[in-house]
Amino acid sequence: MQRLLAPGLALLFFVVLASGFLVIIGQPPVATMLDLAVYAFGDAYSISESLVKATPILFCALAVILPARLGLISVGADGQLYLGALVGTGVVLAMPGAPILVLLPAMLVGGAIGGAGLALVAGGLRARFGVNETITTLLLNYVAVLLVNFVVYGPWKDPANLGWPATIPFPDGATVPGLFGTRAHAGLILAVLIAVVLHIVFARGRVGLRLRVLRDNERVGRMAGLSFAHMVLLTMGIGGAIAGIAGIIETSAIQGRLQPGISLGYGLTGFLVAWLSGHSFLRAIPLAILIGGLIAAGDTLQLFAKVPASSVTVLLGLLFASMLAAAGIARKRAGAG
Amino acid sequence: MEGAEFAGAWIAASLRATTPLLFALLGETLVQRTAVINLGVEGQMLVGACAGFAAASAFGDPWLALLVGGMTGLALSLVHAGLCLGAGANQIGSGIAVWMLGLGLTSFFGRAYVGAKIEGFGPLVRDADTGVPLLDQILSQLTVTTLIAVALVPIIGLWLFRSRTGLRWRAVGESFETARALGLKPWLVQVQAIMVGGFLAGVGGAVLSVDYTETWAQDMTKGAGLVAVALVIAARWNPFLALPVALLFGGSEAAVLRLQAQGIDVSSYLLATTPYLICILVVWISYVRIRGSGGMPAELSRIFG
Repeated sequence: MQRLLAPGLALLFFVVLASGFLVIIGQPPVATMLDLAVYAFGDAYSISESLVKATPILFCALAVILPARLGLISVGADGQLYLGALVGTGVVLAMPGAPILVLLPAMLVGGAIGGAGLALVAGGLRARFGVNETITTLLLNYVAVLLVNFVVYGPWKDPANLGWPATIPFPDGATVPGLFGTRAHAGLILAVLIAVVLHIVFARGRVGLRLRVLRDNERVGRMAGLSFAHMVLLTMGIGGAIAGIAGIIETSAIQGRLQPGISLGYGLTGFLVAWLSGHSFLRAIPLAILIGGLIAAGDTLQLFAKVPASSVTVLLGLLFASMLAAAGIARKRAGAG
Repeated sequence: MEGAEFAGAWIAASLRATTPLLFALLGETLVQRTAVINLGVEGQMLVGACAGFAAASAFGDPWLALLVGGMTGLALSLVHAGLCLGAGANQIGSGIAVWMLGLGLTSFFGRAYVGAKIEGFGPLVRDADTGVPLLDQILSQLTVTTLIAVALVPIIGLWLFRSRTGLRWRAVGESFETARALGLKPWLVQVQAIMVGGFLAGVGGAVLSVDYTETWAQDMTKGAGLVAVALVIAARWNPFLALPVALLFGGSEAAVLRLQAQGIDVSSYLLATTPYLICILVVWISYVRIRGSGGMPAELSRIFG
């Protein structure tokens, strides 16, 4: 019973708040929520579109969960995604004619390096100087978006685009393969694979324990020969690499070229999924698909019911608030009981 | 352009760019003084900017717009108060939830106002002619909101450090136990601080849309609220230091705009990263200088290392 209290309460709060919002904007709450469910998972096409949205969200959630296991709160997945897209695109532009077996892995490594590089700015400042990582990751997001704008409006702009800010289309050798002829792509498989590997590493290996010791008591960890600073760099770096891969995959598989606006708030949505999952790598998978479905459904809702897709951002905010309230209340009760 | 005129124009532009941030920064300073951190400032500024712009567009009164913006920011800040103090939720998570709500609500309800035109405050003195070119530039570019923001610095500073209530707020931030021994309810003081912070963030947002840009655009704060949270650290939780620290950010923003207008040969996107990088730099420097938790309210350092 106790274990179900928090999720149950969260669902209750969310349904009440979401209904309230839908009523305010003049939509029938029950019918709209059913519509959203159908638009998200009602047929094969909807499901594939939901998986398209779920992919970067899952990557970004993993990028938040990993440092969180050490007690770090990184909100920088969006920026890491952008810088991954930038560096990965740089690799593609450097050798557009390379065969796919060379180019695709090189591109992904480029993405990982870009994301890790940005994350390590925040990680390094935390490890070396104790600068709070939440603040630096948040600010670096804006820097990364501007850097992508710089290259696509400037040196990397394809003149054939007639002023449209974008690079040349990615060659076939740099295109992440699709799945079953839909827009869903192999990126999803990679994201799930990374989640499972991280889960196994943390469940079986000593890494999880080490991080927990350091998180709970740095001094005890130091006496056991563990270095907080090293672990900050490790978790931030790998997390950033994962978000960076999300960026280059999104660019390659969905956009087909680097252009502004790669991410539709995937970083922040990934942050939400990470917290909803209780920072569990495995639980993040279904939750990312669920939230991806909600976002995809929002697009369809805009098309059919003329309700702006930004209504889904409000719903996500309400969901986050509901979950935080429920978790807090459940913790209080557990503490009192 | 003559030297004095140029300097005057740049000082005025810096002050104008700083004004919205200064409101939010002063508010968040008070919030953090009571050991609450609120990343929702970003969302509160957004709702303030959106609602303030809507009010200016409906009633044509910029003063009313600031009030509406402030009250909307205050209303959203109550979500943070409810989540952190009511439900005992994680403060960073709660702040981000508030940010998401503000972003979603303003994207949704703000659509109607994209591209709309409004009447702002107008300059302090039209066609100023004091015979001092530097002063003329400043007077003819500044608006009343900058004066209010700058006046708030000593008012809030003196209130925090010299008044009895200010002492109580600081006591809460330093030690809940001591505060309770003084007969205070820490949560009650924290709610008040969050509300004041929400109001000031909302006013800052309204100043941005109604006075500074005179337009509404989706996500127009572009991280100003997050910058405010960061700069509180650089200002060492001291309202008096809020002005110079905010000027670093606003001044670099104004410099970037000025350089672009001069047509220098660097991408405007690259230049636009400068204010964020400067913000990270000053936060970094202040961490190096205060090593440990120097200056940070003790109760705050428990939740925000």
